[in-house]
Amino acid sequence: MPALIRILTMALIAGVFSAAILALSLKSTLPITEPQKVPFVGGGAPQTHAWQRYHVRFYSMTLLFISFEMEMMFMYPWAVVYVQEGIKAMVEMGMFLTILSIGILYGWREGVFKWQ
Amino acid sequence: MAMRWLSRLAAADAVPVFPVVGENGLAAAENLFLDPRLRPVPSPRHARVLLVLGETGQTLNRQLRRLHDQLSHPRATLWCDAVPDPDFGRATESSDTADAVVEAYRSMFAGAMDTEPDIHPNEPPNEWRGKGTNGQGGDGMMGGTPYGRPMAMTDDDLRDGLQLDAYSATFGPFLPAFPPGLALDITLQGDSIQAVSVSHPPFRQETDHSRTGSLRNLARLLRVLGVPALAARFIAAARKLEDGGTIDLDVLARAFDWSGAMHIIPSDLGSFGGEGRDVRSRVRAWLNIARGRQEPAPLGQPALSFVDLVKGLEWYEAVIVLNSFDNNALRNLCPVENTDDQTEEAPQ
Amino acid sequence: MSMLACVILLLLLIFGTLFAAILDTAIPAWIAGQSGANPLTTPFRRCAQFLAVQRLTTERPDMLNWLLAPAAYLILAGIGLGVVPLSEGLVFIDLQTGLVLWGACEALTVVVVFLHGWSANAPFPLIGAYRYVAIGLPAMLVSMFVVIGVALPAQSLSVSAAVEAQRGLWNIVKQPLGLPLFMLLGLSLTLRGPFDYADPFDLAAGTSAEDSGPLRASWRFARLAMLVSFSTMAATLFLGGHHGPGLPGPLWLALKAAGVMTILVALGHVIARTTPSRMLTLLWVLFLPLSFLDLIIAGVESLP
Repeated sequence: MPALIRILTMALIAGVFSAAILALSLKSTLPITEPQKVPFVGGGAPQTHAWQRYHVRFYSMTLLFISFEMEMMFMYPWAVVYVQEGIKAMVEMGMFLTILSIGILYGWREGVFKWQ
Repeated sequence: MAMRWLSRLAAADAVPVFPVVGENGLAAAENLFLDPRLRPVPSPRHARVLLVLGETGQTLNRQLRRLHDQLSHPRATLWCDAVPDPDFGRATESSDTADAVVEAYRSMFAGAMDTEPDIHPNEPPNEWRGKGTNGQGGDGMMGGTPYGRPMAMTDDDLRDGLQLDAYSATFGPFLPAFPPGLALDITLQGDSIQAVSVSHPPFRQETDHSRTGSLRNLARLLRVLGVPALAARFIAAARKLEDGGTIDLDVLARAFDWSGAMHIIPSDLGSFGGEGRDVRSRVRAWLNIARGRQEPAPLGQPALSFVDLVKGLEWYEAVIVLNSFDNNALRNLCPVENTDDQTEEAPQ
Repeated sequence: MSMLACVILLLLLIFGTLFAAILDTAIPAWIAGQSGANPLTTPFRRCAQFLAVQRLTTERPDMLNWLLAPAAYLILAGIGLGVVPLSEGLVFIDLQTGLVLWGACEALTVVVVFLHGWSANAPFPLIGAYRYVAIGLPAMLVSMFVVIGVALPAQSLSVSAAVEAQRGLWNIVKQPLGLPLFMLLGLSLTLRGPFDYADPFDLAAGTSAEDSGPLRASWRFARLAMLVSFSTMAATLFLGGHHGPGLPGPLWLALKAAGVMTILVALGHVIARTTPSRMLTLLWVLFLPLSFLDLIIAGVESLP
């Protein structure tokens, strides 16, 4: 599969380039001390780790997003056969989109797009 | 050899400066950064020079020292219009601050000046091996103080009753997005503010209530809104007005409109209750004052306390609200409790 | 043939990144009305300054991901650039489903930016990372509908076919809503201006708040490379790619990409950023229906 090899080649080139930029820092610098490592909050010191059970305020939006993502998956092959299928294909996809758009309307009314 | 060439190239760059603004230092800082040889950076990790402009006071000494240690090497500290701390940095005259900063930066890369060492000892924040046989710290899995920092614990949420982790920290007096000197003890869940209390009020700045003051207030808000280039234009206009020149305010107002700044601020944000007391109306008032169409008026009796104004907002909205007041109004709004730092936890 | 394509791509990437860095210095200086630093030398000096200083870490970071995130970002930019046809028959990654690969690169960018913010184990990067996911996902959705609209007249998911279908008339004329909506994605992918929810000033540089030294060089280079990659893709999908009289294909492509880049950088420095919840609402309620409209226009226009 030459295309895959090409993708990996590009990835390798980009990866090597990035590694080169980082490797330029491997000269001997001063050691990193503990007071330097304190996360920046403007002068204070945080008392806990930042990693936490973060309240993702847009989690209900992501459910709607998944449904549209699945629709996108169906649209990929649909796009290829669209012209030969003609108006029927457009009507079918239109119905699909309309049903999902009702989902957007519902979500909007329920405040899914606000920061909950 | 390559390192020397790299250092020489680096020495010709604009100096990344983290500004620590103290009392009456904000206008000087803004004017200073109009110089193309300096550029202000939002985080001390990005900075080579820590520049203190204006008196920060003894109570914030600990925070300033902690901030100093967070810069990456090579670093230098310069004090301008402030009494320097004997442990680090040098004083500099206010007339040639930019030159002194550039000088310090270049001499660091030329090897003529050493980078500044840490002030604090090289010790982790909590000792290794808390209580318990395995150093887990206390009774069972929770409790006690493990090595380094503990994880955040759950708490009830304001808005929807989920019990997820609450992150508490004092968001410091020297955060560039806040008005200088304002330190808030904030408890965040996600990025919404659950609880806030003022730990240190903002520093007093010489507020000029006339057109230049409004231009500077607008510039500060624009920088928060993500258009620093336009903010620099406003500051340049303000300085030109102060020096006695004339500026074309229509051009500035049009640029302000094109950036969409007025429309993107949500209506009814940071509202005191009642008509015309939210962020949009304050910004509109600043624009009118800048154009000379309106006289500056004091804020009036706030119907809400500061805490109620900010609580429940998302972080960005809260920062916009904080930057929508001018210095006098914000100082009047902040309750002046907890101004001593004895309430700060002792082990770092 | 593929060697030639690879070489041209690398040249495009490197010179495009340099051009983007020059724009990023010159345009804000022009807006601010200041003379500013010399934009031609600033990118080199800034890069040297990043590389010559210490790289810090935080107390308990995820070091592997922190170092890998900029590298992965650059890889995604490279792959995204690789599917673009440089001339008739000259493509480096010649896939029948090039547009799907591009969509995958967009999606993975959200992951990469999130990793960059999460790995530092500090409050501001973490908030920036989560906030970016909220905006990056719907922005990607808008762009994919627009890209499918481009695929309709081409009857294929390959980028070469999309360019071929523009032989008569460019897509920016046939599907006028496409390019503006696609530009929104560009701003989001490269963390610029009104969509810069990952590295904003109010979060003290967000996911980059704890970066220092060579990590900053790496991240910034990846961001600019993604700008190049996106602009080239936009020029390919909407501005006819390598079609053009006189000059060779790759040169036309570079010129069109440079134009798109200039517009993007200018937009990024002029338009203010709204609050995340408002932007989320705008994306879902305004821009997504507009992309449906664009799809309908494309569909009606492609039917014989």
